[in-house]
Amino acid sequence: MPKVDCGKLCPEWPCEQPDEFKNVWVITEASEEGVSEASLQMLTPALEIAGKLGSKVVGVLIGYNVERHAETLIRHGADEVIVVDSEDLKEYYPEVYGQVVVDLARKYKPEVILIAATMRGREMGPYIANTLRAGITADCTDFDVDEKTRDVLLIRPPFAAIMLAYIKTPFRRPQIGTARPNVFPVPPADDTRKGEIIRETVQVRKTRTRLVSRTILKREEIPIEKAEIIVSGGKGLGGPEGFKLLEELASILGGVVAGSRKAVDAGWISHERQVGQTGKSVKPILYIAVGISGAAQHMIGVREATRIVAINIDPEAPIFNQADYGVIGDYKEIVESLIEELKKLKEAGPEAVDELIKEYTIQEAAVQQG
Amino acid sequence: MRIVVGIKWVPNTQAVRFDPKTGTLIRTGVPAIVNPHDLPAAELALRLRDEYGGEVIVLTMAPPPAVQGLEHILGMGADKAVLLTDRAFAGADTLATSYVIAEGIRKIEREIGKVDLAVFGQETIDSSTAHIGAQVASWLGWPYIYYVKNAKMVNGALRVERQLENAVETFDVGLPAVVSVAMKALKARPVRLSHKLRVKLEKPIIVWSNKDLGLDPRCVGLKGSPTIVSKVTYLPEVPRRKIVYKPKDPRDAARWILAQLFQDEKTREALHKALWG
Ligand SMILES: Cc1cc2nc3c(=O)[nH]c(=O)nc-3n(C[C@H](O)[C@H](O)[C@H](O)COP(=O)(O)OP(=O)(O)OC[C@H]3O[C@@H](n4cnc5c(N)ncnc54)[C@H](O)[C@@H]3O)c2cc1C
Repeated sequence: MPKVDCGKLCPEWPCEQPDEFKNVWVITEASEEGVSEASLQMLTPALEIAGKLGSKVVGVLIGYNVERHAETLIRHGADEVIVVDSEDLKEYYPEVYGQVVVDLARKYKPEVILIAATMRGREMGPYIANTLRAGITADCTDFDVDEKTRDVLLIRPPFAAIMLAYIKTPFRRPQIGTARPNVFPVPPADDTRKGEIIRETVQVRKTRTRLVSRTILKREEIPIEKAEIIVSGGKGLGGPEGFKLLEELASILGGVVAGSRKAVDAGWISHERQVGQTGKSVKPILYIAVGISGAAQHMIGVREATRIVAINIDPEAPIFNQADYGVIGDYKEIVESLIEELKKLKEAGPEAVDELIKEYTIQEAAVQQG
Repeated sequence: MRIVVGIKWVPNTQAVRFDPKTGTLIRTGVPAIVNPHDLPAAELALRLRDEYGGEVIVLTMAPPPAVQGLEHILGMGADKAVLLTDRAFAGADTLATSYVIAEGIRKIEREIGKVDLAVFGQETIDSSTAHIGAQVASWLGWPYIYYVKNAKMVNGALRVERQLENAVETFDVGLPAVVSVAMKALKARPVRLSHKLRVKLEKPIIVWSNKDLGLDPRCVGLKGSPTIVSKVTYLPEVPRRKIVYKPKDPRDAARWILAQLFQDEKTREALHKALWG
């Protein structure tokens, strides 16, 4: 590892050598109910980075009445969990939570800190990094490690994921990144895993900010750029009543509806729900495009969707070449059937899935043979 | 109240085209604009001033052409502008940028008067980091809140409303503070000719170089930046499975789609969660 020449560093920064730092931290968001899914997902890149660096994964759990969730982090791969559980942390304020992480990081000197790029994570991350006088990379979708220098490459996609920038901080530690939710899976749980739980008490900073109220949004009010499942409609719906059907499908899937520009221009759906170049970029796990042709200006907005399903009547529609799963046919009947089949599945329970999968693997095998 | 609005003069990325043959971004001839997400921030600052009095000072750290961006916000009605410009500031990452901005705010406090609020756009269209608000708050030691949709004064504190993924929250923030304004939260007022005329006559743009700020050259620009972009790659096309199915009937179509999604490890969990919690 290269030595840092302290004479060259900004005197506002503490002079530290990279080899003073060890372990990969995951800062988790937790409430009394549990650790957030997005935070658990961060354990996947953390385990990978820690594997390459030969270091431990440490979960950091901050809040009030959260201590019992330390076990969850261990089951999903953390070697250690540092817990700060205090009534003073009942409400989240970015600089208050951020300062707790800063104080812990000054004491333990982690080599890497990962934070889920949720809205709170994106708010708190740069405060933590800046207060430590360290670099930070936002919205990473991948990581790599230079094992010789122990530099972590933090990989992020500015410009609608057309470009990937590889960022590193060779003379500063910790190396800090926020990473996109739903890019990494939650590592499988192992109930036999054991790990150390370290209870820390930290002087919680007072803040001049006070939470006045919090109202949970209804499913259909969730903005499309934050939704995990989107059912999106285009000109092919033929009219506003098509969106009623899509809303019904979205509701069963716990998702929201969106639309193409033509659907917005026709007044079938609001401008806030437009996907594409002049609308919004979305990053759902599942994007179901219904009666959408697949114009470039639309598709630029769904580059970061994990999977795309297309339903279109025209076998030549360009969207089929840009989707994962395409079905040719009239949308109305297909969406109605989807709603019906989902209702039946929901009723029948998860066991019914096996049957469904068997039916289609057998069919595919038959097709292959014949 | 004295409000500082930070803005960035950026290439209009919506006009940047992508050359699929060479796999590069075509930036030549791309016009520069005020980062569109800074306009709601300027609007919020102007509304607060109009309501409660005081002044709005627009500030940027940038090479001299960014004066056009400052003039735009002055044209909307801001009172003064500050350009922080110096060769030494070039190549700054967000930490080094926020340091200069925070020091600019400190100098405003020394020379013009106490600042009550610093307002930023949520993020920029050319890099989308959303770092600056929090970093400036960190340098100044002020409280801060992101994603603000509107604000008003209540009992001496700034009452702000913001929306997260799944909740709407209201906070009372004690001043001085930093807020970042949600994208598209407010419609910015147009530039007015009378304001432009005043800019021409009064030239309310202050220019400070690093000599004026007196910052250690090791703390600014490239030298003061811990992050390094080590390489950039292009991904012209997203890999997709492209499996197309011609169903027997609608029920077959629906069952085929669900069978694919349940077999796909990327979507299986999400469907399970949606159906059975
Ligand atoms: C500068 C610029 C910016 C733009 N920005 C955006 C943007 O942000 N977002 C955006 O979406 N567009 C944008 N566009 C417009 C874009 O080029 C397309 O015109 C638009 O996306 C097409 O919308 P569509 O797919 O709904 O309609 P169409 O292209 O008309 O496609 C309708 C589809 O529905 C199918 N269909 C018809 N009937 C049925 C049925 N019964 N069942 C199933 N399928 C059926 C058809 O086969 C067809 O494929 C922009 C264009 C420009 C020039």
